[in-house]
Amino acid sequence: MKMLKPVLVVLTGYLLLKFGIPFIGSQLHPGTWPVVPTSVMKMYMFFLIVGTLMIYSFSEEGYAAVIQPAVNLYVDPARGTARMAVILAVGALGAYVTYQYVKPTFDAPVELRSIHPAPPSSVKACVKTYQLQGLKNPFREDKASFAKHVEEGGVVYFQNCYFCHGDRMLGKGPYYDGFNPLPANFVDVGTIAQLTESFVFWRIATGGPGLPSEGTPWVSAMPVWHELLTEEQVWKVIMFLYDYTGHSPRVTAPVHH
Amino acid sequence: MTRAAGRALAAALIVALAAGQAMAAQGNAQNGKKVYERKCWWCHGKSGEADGPGAAFMIPPPRDFSLGVYKYKTSGAESPVPRDEDLFSIITNGMPGTSMPSWKEVLNEQERWDLVSYIKALTDMFEEGKNPPAIAIGERISSSPESIEKGKKLFVEAKCVECHGQAGRGDTMKKLKEDGGARVWPRNLWKPWTFRGGVEAENIFARISNGIPNTPMPAHAADKTGCGKLSVEDRWHVVNYVMSLADPDRQVKEGATVVPGAQVDALPKDENDPAWDEIPSAAFRLVPQIIQKERFFIPANDLIVVKVAFTADKVAFLLLVDDRTKSIVGDSTAEGLAWDELKPDAVAIQTPATVPESSEKPYFGHGDGSHPVTMMYWASGAAGQPDTSKLLTASGAGARTEGDAGAAGFASHASYHEGTWKIMMTRKLTTPNKDKETQFEIGRFIPIAFANWDGSNGEGGSKHTMTTWYWLLLKPATGSEVALYPALVFALLVGGQFAFSIIGRRKKR
Ligand code: HEC
Ligand code: HEC
Ligand code: HEC
Repeated sequence: MKMLKPVLVVLTGYLLLKFGIPFIGSQLHPGTWPVVPTSVMKMYMFFLIVGTLMIYSFSEEGYAAVIQPAVNLYVDPARGTARMAVILAVGALGAYVTYQYVKPTFDAPVELRSIHPAPPSSVKACVKTYQLQGLKNPFREDKASFAKHVEEGGVVYFQNCYFCHGDRMLGKGPYYDGFNPLPANFVDVGTIAQLTESFVFWRIATGGPGLPSEGTPWVSAMPVWHELLTEEQVWKVIMFLYDYTGHSPRVTAPVHH
Repeated sequence: MTRAAGRALAAALIVALAAGQAMAAQGNAQNGKKVYERKCWWCHGKSGEADGPGAAFMIPPPRDFSLGVYKYKTSGAESPVPRDEDLFSIITNGMPGTSMPSWKEVLNEQERWDLVSYIKALTDMFEEGKNPPAIAIGERISSSPESIEKGKKLFVEAKCVECHGQAGRGDTMKKLKEDGGARVWPRNLWKPWTFRGGVEAENIFARISNGIPNTPMPAHAADKTGCGKLSVEDRWHVVNYVMSLADPDRQVKEGATVVPGAQVDALPKDENDPAWDEIPSAAFRLVPQIIQKERFFIPANDLIVVKVAFTADKVAFLLLVDDRTKSIVGDSTAEGLAWDELKPDAVAIQTPATVPESSEKPYFGHGDGSHPVTMMYWASGAAGQPDTSKLLTASGAGARTEGDAGAAGFASHASYHEGTWKIMMTRKLTTPNKDKETQFEIGRFIPIAFANWDGSNGEGGSKHTMTTWYWLLLKPATGSEVALYPALVFALLVGGQFAFSIIGRRKKR
């Protein structure tokens, strides 16, 4: 069975694309399983099959090994039933692939949003304007009352934020599934753990509507907190977020995605 | 490894495992206190008296551990307190539809047993070192049409209907309170995924037997003499009936964001037209408006089911909302069930005034100055008066103008039956007021959002429930090419292969 080799090559390639790539992705970003999109998958598989056929039929006997059994099937008078089956199967496969192309698809438009867009240089909240560059949490320095500030931040959290971000800070509050995008998961390393306190202050003070358009401000349910909380409450809730999750705020500029 | 050694190892493992379980069941109250003071006091309060900072913003309120009264117990009537396993199971699985989450992802098994020990120590209701026995559940009677039929009769005879409604959707006849005075609505039994004490047959059996302490839901287990209430066998029939009510159309499908509009020759006549049964539906979660002033924290309705049908020039929306009360202002029954000043029930469909070309949409909460939204609004009105329908354009919360319903061919019609509002709204696909009203285009994805006001729950104005943006798609009828092209390809491929085969055989000869 010389046919076995090219078939194995194609199969291995398929498995690598289907499971290998998502596996590598899942190692890089724990908790995710980034599958290869179907369209890309089709393209890769096309090249893989054509490429494999070309390589294996390059030499004379390779050509014979790959093509000859197929030709035989079509011309050998003794194999009428097998021939009939193959002819119908190839026809059905072609019809199926065509159907996949022409059938109307009703997949919702894909919406891409930048999770951590570049912040503005200053934030206007009510009557006050804050320069984000170098903006510091005023309560962080007050080491003596650290626990008190954290607890006061917790009170703010459980009266305002847990509905969406959740009692456990996993972004799964009692109403989380009614929102798209989903509320941020603060335990995950992808949110506050990689942000500076000034960035988090900006996000809380101006909420969803405060995002630039690459952050799709029109769909984010994150409220504009400067309309509902005082500046002190915002700084304290930030202390609480970091304390409860055990993360520390970044001290350099945040990473932009 | 010899066989004997293998067996010895297995035995050692089993012993170790068993010991582990016994230890876990002990729980260490001292360690439990530490976890409690980090994770639980925010709602349940520092000394367990349900007075944490979060407690004022939720219904149901958190459990007061100083009383030792628990809702979800499997111990029998002779024991006022639950079994350790009940507490462990609630802490592990949480209570859907409430603020009480499942803790299994963040606390390990030992920590959860430690918590059980600690909260038991917050009251003197538990007897030291004693775990009450579980209620007798007899033999599970498996579900069958006969059993369900028996259960249905018992559901009426045992007066479940007085609270849970004729159809089981929770449309109660009386206003119900928890012992502490908080409002409590009977569960909508068509949505078992909202059950707080578990969805397995055994869980429901325990609820029916013990009732739900701290709430008006009564115990239904027959007493020792077998008198009164429901026998073990009857309770299993009721369990089977309750489980038969589950309606998957009332469950949000994860990741489903599209309302698929179906093309029809003529629109259904009204909201009760059986023609609607053929139309596919989409279900969306309703969440309270906790985003802008005045925020609203204590919703009652949690779901809206939507169906859409359209013809060449008109579109019809059918909205289904399970609402335990029909709120008609001035109606004495409705007034008696209301928790606040009674207001009408209402729903609204929101779409962008101009369907956006790019991904940019109006802000989902009523749009904004430069991106207005259109709203089709219906409200149940007051006794002796017709209900209201309005076509509105809004640019931001509170900023709205009324449009010309007549020119847009806008009309709505609604009826309430056994705990469900069905509201049908119709409109022309296009209207003369092109800048201010959505022009519905067939085959195009149009952002759509919904809002609901439950009038008996004090909802009105900014206090309501809502959804974020989803998509409406008026699906064009599929053309003949969907069948034609695959057929052509099939014919070509089969024909080609035959030709190849015939020519090949000729050559060979
Ligand atoms: C109505 C639901 C809701 C409430 C209430 C809410 N948030 Fe959010 N929040 C969201 C959503 C949705 C997102 C994700 C979308 C976005 O980034 O705007 C988010 C994002 C955030 C982010 C950005 C995280 C990141 O990685 O960029 C922070 C910080 C945040 N919320 C803090 C808070 C705080 C603090 C409160 C309470 C004072 C709060 N949120 C209340 C819905 C909510
Ligand atoms: C965000 C608020 C919140 C937090 C945090 C919270 N709970 Fe609860 N808990 C509730 C609410 C609300 C209820 C009552 C639900 C009901 O009555 O249906 C409840 C009920 C309970 C019950 C009673 C179950 C019954 O059968 O009556 C137990 C036990 C419990 N919680 C334990 C805990 C423990 C342990 C923690 C910490 C690990 C915790 N809770 C954290 C809100 C909370
Ligand atoms: C006096 C009113 C009343 C009667 C009678 C009543 N219930 Fe209930 N039932 C309630 C209330 C109220 C709740 C919700 C309690 C809560 O949310 O804490 C409830 C909840 C339930 C639940 C949900 C349990 C869970 O795990 O969440 C089931 C199932 C149920 N009832 C079944 C029945 C059946 C079956 C009967 C008749 C045998 C019945 N009820 C009779 C008021 C009643």
